[in-house]
Amino acid sequence: MEFLLEIMTEELPSSHVRSALVQLEEKFLQVFQEARITIHRLQTLGTCRRLVVLAELAAGQPDEEEVVTGPPRHIGLLPDGTFSPAALGFARSQGIAPEKLEVVKTKKGEYLGFKKLRKGISTEKIIAEKLPSVISSLSFPKSMRWAEGSFRFSRPIKNLLCLFNGQVVEVSIESLPSGNRTYGHFIHSPVTLEVNNFAEYEKKLRENFVLIDPEERKRSILNQFKEKLASLNAQVYPDEGLLERMLWNVEYPLVIIGSFPEKFLKLPIEVLSTAMREGQKLFSVVKGRKQLPYFLGIADAPADPKGFIASGHERVLKARLEDARFFWENDLKVPLTERVNGLSQVIFQEKLGTYLDKVERMQKLVVYLADRLEVRNQKKELVEAARLSKADLLTEMVREFPELQGKMGGLYAREQGLSGTISRAIYEHYLPQSLDDPVPDSLGGAVLSLADKMDTVVGVLGVGYTISGSSDPFGLRRNALAICKIILEKKLAISLDRFIKKSISLLEGKLTVPPEDLFKTCLGFFEGRVRYIFEKQGYRYDLVNAALAPGFEFLVQTEARLKALNELKQSKNFEPFILMAKRVKNILKEIPKTRVNTALFKEKEEKELYSILQIIKKNVEDMLSKGDYLGAQKIVFRLQIPLNTFFDKVMVMAEDKKLRNNRLALLAMVQDLIQQLADYSQVVIEGENKSS
Amino acid sequence: MSMQQLFLKLYNYWSKQGCYIAPTYDLEVGAGTMTPDTFFRVLGKKPWKVAYVQPSRRPTDGRYGENPHRVQKHFQFQVIMKPSPLDIQRIYLNSLVYLGINLLEHDLRFDEDDWESPTIGAWGVGWQVLLDGLEITQFTYFQQAGGLELFPVSVEITYGLERLEMFLEQKDNIYDLNWSKDVSYRDLRFREEREFSIYNFEQADTQMLQRWFNAAEKEAHRLINQGLLMPAYDYCLKCSHLFNLLDARGAISVTERVKLIGQVRTLVNQIARKFVEQEGGEN
Repeated sequence: MEFLLEIMTEELPSSHVRSALVQLEEKFLQVFQEARITIHRLQTLGTCRRLVVLAELAAGQPDEEEVVTGPPRHIGLLPDGTFSPAALGFARSQGIAPEKLEVVKTKKGEYLGFKKLRKGISTEKIIAEKLPSVISSLSFPKSMRWAEGSFRFSRPIKNLLCLFNGQVVEVSIESLPSGNRTYGHFIHSPVTLEVNNFAEYEKKLRENFVLIDPEERKRSILNQFKEKLASLNAQVYPDEGLLERMLWNVEYPLVIIGSFPEKFLKLPIEVLSTAMREGQKLFSVVKGRKQLPYFLGIADAPADPKGFIASGHERVLKARLEDARFFWENDLKVPLTERVNGLSQVIFQEKLGTYLDKVERMQKLVVYLADRLEVRNQKKELVEAARLSKADLLTEMVREFPELQGKMGGLYAREQGLSGTISRAIYEHYLPQSLDDPVPDSLGGAVLSLADKMDTVVGVLGVGYTISGSSDPFGLRRNALAICKIILEKKLAISLDRFIKKSISLLEGKLTVPPEDLFKTCLGFFEGRVRYIFEKQGYRYDLVNAALAPGFEFLVQTEARLKALNELKQSKNFEPFILMAKRVKNILKEIPKTRVNTALFKEKEEKELYSILQIIKKNVEDMLSKGDYLGAQKIVFRLQIPLNTFFDKVMVMAEDKKLRNNRLALLAMVQDLIQQLADYSQVVIEGENKSS
Repeated sequence: MSMQQLFLKLYNYWSKQGCYIAPTYDLEVGAGTMTPDTFFRVLGKKPWKVAYVQPSRRPTDGRYGENPHRVQKHFQFQVIMKPSPLDIQRIYLNSLVYLGINLLEHDLRFDEDDWESPTIGAWGVGWQVLLDGLEITQFTYFQQAGGLELFPVSVEITYGLERLEMFLEQKDNIYDLNWSKDVSYRDLRFREEREFSIYNFEQADTQMLQRWFNAAEKEAHRLINQGLLMPAYDYCLKCSHLFNLLDARGAISVTERVKLIGQVRTLVNQIARKFVEQEGGEN
């Protein structure tokens, strides 16, 4: 049977719509599952004014048989087989005829009892009971109150439509009662619509300029893009984020096309597209890689009969581009090199000082990194890039469009005749902004980005900030992720530990956390990020644990270990070796202090293990020096058979203390070797208790 | 329709909605929100409906009369309704229809845009209203003012009158707008914009402004202790405008900015708290 819910509101921010729909789906799934209502289908739909849940559900809970027990058999039944007064009393109290009583067996013994059919609760009743708490439990990044109510929601709720099997489910939210009515488009058809089911709901809304299905709106937008651009033989510059946002911002998308004077094409494409995207939310039009003097916009209307919508956008855009041109030309009048000193007026963080202090630290970190990477020849330029990297914070363009920070610095640097290495490094140094964002293309950009981000992470943790849940004011998680991503993707052979220590030493005097504690905090913080990256890439958590155990100072190596481990997990040697590694680890719980003394070997198997170990160790070291972690792990797997024989034939925990310690020392050598590759004991074998 | 007719029509429309038409406040303010007719009245429980035109000064927006869109003083039409009516969006749309805008020929959008004013410890949730991409109104449900949670919630509707008039007259230059049938915006305001831009950016005596700021701040403080909250609030407004002038002269570093705004906010928050205490929440 069909369940249809529509919560109508004033315009919700598009991110709120999406998150609310996800929450509604999860919460209703949970409600119906817990209530044992069979769900045939459950989906969500919506617009900026409507949150819709549509489901196909069973009519109610299944009926259930329940056994009600009365007196024990020996009390309830008289010797002649008739019911005792106690049994008759029980039957009467339950409102059933005594003949219905029968003997039931329970754990406690035999009793008199009867089977009672418990009617399942109807789905409608469950909806009525749970709906208010589902709605009030939706969470938003920011919520509000309105009028005289204390209820909180993203924006005011206007109407509630709630139908089950064509009937109104009666509920109310903040004295707003549910019903079978909805409304058409707020401006283009604000009429009341009565509906009995989803098919009717969808149809009537469509007739009144609302497309309730986001997928349909998306298709419509993309089709209209194509139509509008067909004659220009041009393409829309892809911007998934903006499309996704607009899709939720409208109920009935209408694509409009407009143009702007060609003189503005002299502005950098970054500036043009940002000026279009911000504020008016317009899409750029390109032909191949060339920007054209056109834009596409998405209106919420059935048509633009007089062309007012397009011409209105043109006028507004022209004014914005005039401003942008004014900023561009004015900003260029002051060289970045002159702006740098102004950074002494811009606070980065109260205890960490100004942006001038920050770029001076970044310069030193760039020197440190350049000396260790293959950019020694660019060192001077990159130090200069670091110095100039934040100067664009003082430009009018970045004040107007903060998201252009870095990019503007790079563009201004280029226009002002600084070298390509410098301008590119500045341009790219905010990358990557997220895990999905690309890392800087140039090595210089990567170095600058690392220096900037490490200074932020270490500095902010070093003045006592803690990161928890949603509290991450300086975006430290994002910064640390970016550092790891750059090191991994650029395959940089730098020591994370020493990089952190260098950064700590540069911040001396400003920190409130003791350096040793800070170093530990940083390591822990980075470990969390490294795990996150690997798990996001789809590696099993236990393999990640095993690969991280030998450390993550050199991230590229950690990743190679993990890759090898992941590849080997399919091989038939894998499981026996893991079990062996666990056995070795268990027996070594108390690690002996002695070293191996070959003279104390008594059994043939001890000697054999020792000599095989020498050979394998040498081979493993060869492989590792070549960076072949897969080869190294394959070789170390060969220890499994001699170890097996050793455990079979040699009594490790011998009576003789000397022998015992010598045997343990031999196993410790094995352990030392294999732990360089991974802590195999962390790998979970199927059927094994996870906690072991 | 001229700018003058726009004022008159909006006065007319909102007085029909039950709003009291307040005279323009006689101090320099950055926005209609800051005048006592909004600030004090959104505090406490007493219902309130008001509409007024408020000249709003933003010294850094001056462009010497050379930019067709930006001016250091513009006019806002401010509406406060407390508690916020349930159909306030519709009431607002009807005001546009009343101005003669055929909404069926345009694209009108409520676009997420939350508002906050750190100086008066206020924030709210709402939208900018876009008409064919042009921002004509800021629409806000006040959640807090003077650092206090507001109950009931007031809705604030602020029309940008020049923007709206440019839309109505379909003009690209603010100075070409008709103030009345025979007076243009240029006639009235061009010289003022030019001279104030020179004053704001080049001539304002920063040392004097700084002294005045300190004196006004001290006076506000003293008056709060005397329980004279409305005069104290006036001195906070003076602080705010002096701050804006100093800012336009580039005389405030980023650190000082935070400090000075914080000073004014502390005073305003004290005023709000005492005001609500005195009125016993009955205001």
